[in-house]
Amino acid sequence: MSSDLAQFRLIAAVALRNLWLDRLRTFIIGGLIAAGAFLAVIGLSLLLDVQASMRASITQSIAGDLQIYSASAKDKLALFGGSGFMGRADIGSLPDFSPYKDAVISHPNVAAFVPMGLDMAVLSRGNELDDAIDSLRVALKGGDPGIVSGRAEQIKFQLEQVKLELAARRLLSADQAELDQQEKDLARALAPDFLALGATIDEERLQFLETKIAPLSGEKLPTYLQYIGTDIAAYKANFPKFRIVEGTVLEPGQRGIMLSRKVREELLKNGVAKLFDKLHKRIVKRGGKIVGDEENQRFAIDLSKQYQQILSYLDRPNAEELSAKLAARGIKDENVDLVQRLSQQISAFLTVDDSNFLERYQWFYEHIAPKIKLYEVTPGQTITIRNYTRSGYIKTLPLKVYGIYNFDGLEDSDLAGVLNIMDLVSFRELYGQMTDASRKELDAMRAQVGMKDVKSEDAEAALFGDVATDSTTVAVSPSADDANALDATQVLLVKPTLADTFDLAEVQNGLALNAAIRLKDPSQQARTESELRSDLEKRGFKVNIVDWQQASGIVGQFVNIVGGTLVFALIVIFLVAFVIINNSIIVGTLNRTREIGTMRAIGAQRSFIVALFLAETGITGMFGAFGGAGLAVAAVVAAGRRGIPAANDVVTFIFSGPRLYPAVHWQIVTLVPLLITLFATLASVYAARHAAKVQPADATQEKE
Amino acid sequence: MTAVVRIAGVEKVYPLGKTEVRALSGIDIAIDEGEFTTIAGPSGCGKSTLLNLIGCMDVPTKGEVYIEGQPVAKLPDRDLTRLRLEKLGFIFQSFNLIPVLTVFQNIEFPLLLQGRWSRAQRQEKVASLLAEVDLVKQQNQRSSELSGGQRQRVAIARALVTNPRIVLADEPTANLDSATGERIIELMKNINKTHKTTFIFSTHDPQVMRQAGRIIRLKDGHVVPEQRS
Repeated sequence: MSSDLAQFRLIAAVALRNLWLDRLRTFIIGGLIAAGAFLAVIGLSLLLDVQASMRASITQSIAGDLQIYSASAKDKLALFGGSGFMGRADIGSLPDFSPYKDAVISHPNVAAFVPMGLDMAVLSRGNELDDAIDSLRVALKGGDPGIVSGRAEQIKFQLEQVKLELAARRLLSADQAELDQQEKDLARALAPDFLALGATIDEERLQFLETKIAPLSGEKLPTYLQYIGTDIAAYKANFPKFRIVEGTVLEPGQRGIMLSRKVREELLKNGVAKLFDKLHKRIVKRGGKIVGDEENQRFAIDLSKQYQQILSYLDRPNAEELSAKLAARGIKDENVDLVQRLSQQISAFLTVDDSNFLERYQWFYEHIAPKIKLYEVTPGQTITIRNYTRSGYIKTLPLKVYGIYNFDGLEDSDLAGVLNIMDLVSFRELYGQMTDASRKELDAMRAQVGMKDVKSEDAEAALFGDVATDSTTVAVSPSADDANALDATQVLLVKPTLADTFDLAEVQNGLALNAAIRLKDPSQQARTESELRSDLEKRGFKVNIVDWQQASGIVGQFVNIVGGTLVFALIVIFLVAFVIINNSIIVGTLNRTREIGTMRAIGAQRSFIVALFLAETGITGMFGAFGGAGLAVAAVVAAGRRGIPAANDVVTFIFSGPRLYPAVHWQIVTLVPLLITLFATLASVYAARHAAKVQPADATQEKE
Repeated sequence: MTAVVRIAGVEKVYPLGKTEVRALSGIDIAIDEGEFTTIAGPSGCGKSTLLNLIGCMDVPTKGEVYIEGQPVAKLPDRDLTRLRLEKLGFIFQSFNLIPVLTVFQNIEFPLLLQGRWSRAQRQEKVASLLAEVDLVKQQNQRSSELSGGQRQRVAIARALVTNPRIVLADEPTANLDSATGERIIELMKNINKTHKTTFIFSTHDPQVMRQAGRIIRLKDGHVVPEQRS
């Protein structure tokens, strides 16, 4: 054995024996270091897993590895919210994205460029009576007396409910005259011959129902839909989490929209079903109870008041059947009037507690849900979307709902589920851009009404003066160059008759607000981002390029926040360890002065003493750090087998699914303890040097 | 005969608050190779201070200490340490063994610090000394398992293992009963004779003093004119 090795062994042996002699101190310092290593390994492992899962959630649903948008943006791009007024961020626009696409796609690490736009609009919809009257119209057009009769009976049954509502309203309303008029209108509609079969149901009566009667049933609150418009073919090819769960996928070249399942569940589902679902999730899936949980109790109370949400969708035969079924299961009421009796019965049925909830939930879906309209929107239906364009006017667009979609693994995530997906051409129209189709449509309407452009300087004369015009309608244009602006104001008047397809070439260029850039090798993201930025700058394109984390808004910052917190916690732990290590060595030096002095007296250099103390801390650090890391590996393996459940919808998104299955990252398991050992060793340098200052003469300190 | 230790005009002053304590003053001594010398005197006379100066564990305030003709007062700490390791051996009043090491390891310790001996060489040297101080059976025991006399024999072996020119012993028998103390002095004397090692030890025990070949008496930091036996 070489002497150096022997000296090393001597230091190790002396250090180990000293550590053993001072077991309590060793245990405290080692335990502290082990706790730090445990936290560091667990924390960093989970952070990597969360980062990977969040990346999957974000980049496989709506964001690219990188995202590009205009440099003139007033707000930051925030695909999952957190920017802009009322969630409507102003991120500017790329008036024609094709040159940007050509530039970006030429980079060797770019796999795809998906143009997009993000906006928000109002879903126009009527109440239950509007729906019933619409159905009657359709039936009348169909001409089947049986169906017409059925629809008319349903309306009559709903009108009986409205009559009861008005009676109740009279007790509360200050405007009795208005109620008199409403009751008079209702009496007309309820007259036996008003909805009788045959030619008596004419347009005048339908319009009377639509304008005078339907509003009596109340108005629904507006529903705001957030949506992205995109090149559907490119989107489908690049976002693997997208999956249609009902209906069909919107094919490239078709106008239309695909609604998020979460949006439909949250905003467009029958109120009773929605409350049942919420309670079911909280009670059955999360193991909660109604009693003692304020939110559950509030949901239960709300549920008991929602009988109208069922009643208003029923016709008389269904209502009688339901009343009988409820009576058969013990929920009876003696009232002879069907509406009043069923109202009581449904209210009683909807009064749930912990003992009956599950059974009522199942009974609702088995016996009631099939009789009512469970969702306001179903695939195949055309909905009307109304938006305030960026120019400030209102744009209304009918869009066929092709399907209901989910992001795989993010079914319960509120964050991933808020966005609906439409074709890019429809998006542009709602955004306020005149497309070829809408321009043609507008031209046709102008021709139909004989509208002509007049320059602003001639407007007064054209409207009031001597200038002869051969048209009855005049549109005033500030100048010929502003023809588009004038066209836009007229969109308000246009009754949409747009074709339901468009030329695919339209989505290969033109307006987009932003674009997702998919990379071939995501590990090269930072380098690619920098190269793209420099390349686009050279070409004179003024754009912002952000990574998926920045593009996702507040959500994407989660990893940074967690990482920062973890680092802070580790810094605190290691600062405490640093102080304890140093103090213990300095105090230990006082107790070991004679030993150190003896070593120095018989020829040990100061460096030997420093090495001895560093070895003591290094050994403590190594055992503590690897011990802590070992425990962390055990914990990660255990968590990896069972999965860490997502506590709520936000966490579901962060976990990219209902559970996170952490993996052991061996580079962390080996590197972290080594770094901690190194840190602990270096942290004791000061104290070790202090110990080495003991004089050889101190070996004889007990004398003289 | 050559003086292995020469002390010329040495003074040692310790600061004590705003005043000073003069521990040694006007010391001029020469000790030849192979001498068995004791430094005697009452407590506080400066025996340990003088031994610390000879042992290169401290430096004089004034004057010079020569070890084998080499002045040491201005040597840096690293060189002083090397000098202690190579040329000096130390025996302490309280034995000063390293408690976590065995008898064998304690004796081997200076050889490891020297860093030039193979394992076999170290074993041979240690084994030879273990036999000489009669501790072969105890070689794997820790110091806490030994008697006072045994501990001091370990300390003697440790002091001799590097084959030093000078061995310094500070009151080596003070913590031993008189019989054991006598045996220790006897052992030191035998080694002095067989190895020709210069021994310089302090004591205030007249019985021990009688064993010395030369007595240097100190009083109040001064050397009392000496007498040779």
